[in-house]
Amino acid sequence: MAVPPHVLEFSSDDATAVPALDALYHAAPATNAPPTLRYALNRLGADAYIATSPTRPPFGPASFGDAWAFVEWRAIEDILNDPGPETVFVHAGGVRIGSRLVLLVGASGSGKSTLTALFLERGHPALGDDVLRFAPPEGVFSAVPRSLKLDANAFHLLTLETRTKALSSIGTLLAAGSHYVSPAALCPAWESKPGRPWAVVVLESAPHRGSAALERYSEGEAAVRLVQSMLGAEFGPGAEARTEASLKLLESLGEAAAFHACGARPSVLAELIEEMAQS
Amino acid sequence: MPVAAIPAKPHARPDVALRRVGSEWVLLDAARDRAHVLNLTAAVVWTYCDGEHEPAAIAEAIVADIPAPDPAKIRADVEDVLRRFAAEGLLQ
Repeated sequence: MAVPPHVLEFSSDDATAVPALDALYHAAPATNAPPTLRYALNRLGADAYIATSPTRPPFGPASFGDAWAFVEWRAIEDILNDPGPETVFVHAGGVRIGSRLVLLVGASGSGKSTLTALFLERGHPALGDDVLRFAPPEGVFSAVPRSLKLDANAFHLLTLETRTKALSSIGTLLAAGSHYVSPAALCPAWESKPGRPWAVVVLESAPHRGSAALERYSEGEAAVRLVQSMLGAEFGPGAEARTEASLKLLESLGEAAAFHACGARPSVLAELIEEMAQS
Repeated sequence: MPVAAIPAKPHARPDVALRRVGSEWVLLDAARDRAHVLNLTAAVVWTYCDGEHEPAAIAEAIVADIPAPDPAKIRADVEDVLRRFAAEGLLQ
């Protein structure tokens, strides 16, 4: 595996905080390279922590949940702000069902994280729930280490056993009531190998109503949605590189099928997508 | 969208790229940050927009390329496609 542009290190002087940071660390790609970005979550007193990152002034004193959320937020922002050469990020989820890579595209609140969590719980590895790495030269998507951010409804779709195992730090800093869940807690071998998409599933925006349904969709429209989901210029390439990445992304989707998903029952939708990918 | 006139010899902008995706095609107009989904006929029309073919010649070439029971419909489709290309600023 190529060494990613950044290797993250998380540390704490508080033993009770270590499992939470381990969850972040476990989600990172395995590498022996020395860390390039260091984050710390240190205790000042009873539920008073200070969080440090390489790119922002220290945050705190704050509750554990808020300080942890700050670290998680800074870590992903720092990665996105400096993607390194030949990398762009795409706002999408990705799971591997058998040998087939399925990308999940949709607006915030459309269910990418919920479906990714359900797939992980069903034993399917993932590339991520919200942000994917795309390498234009190879035309492949790969994982971005990051905790899943689930709202209360999505979190309670998980089994009790998973909820007990999962790191579920209730964030109040950035997303009130969100549960930050390590993908490793949902599926120990959570990280899918990189690949080209077999299908793109376009998720209907919230609010979700009616029965879950999965229907064929325009491959071109799905591809355009994915191109439009490439994260903005502030995250990386200039116009020329962005154009090149867009074309490579379209080429990567050359053989991909497309589906449209809707409905109010994500568990059923996960089963439909799973059946489709295994057919 | 305003009705656009079709140039005498439509000429595709060189910075607009065509890529196949599944059974469809996508035109990427990066300069305007836009993308357009095309069907097969429209994609073939695009390949004839080289500044050397008049619309009627493009239509006849496509009628020959794509056997269809209703050539008149193909000709009308080609005209619609060219008008759309012009309206979207995809031609120079």
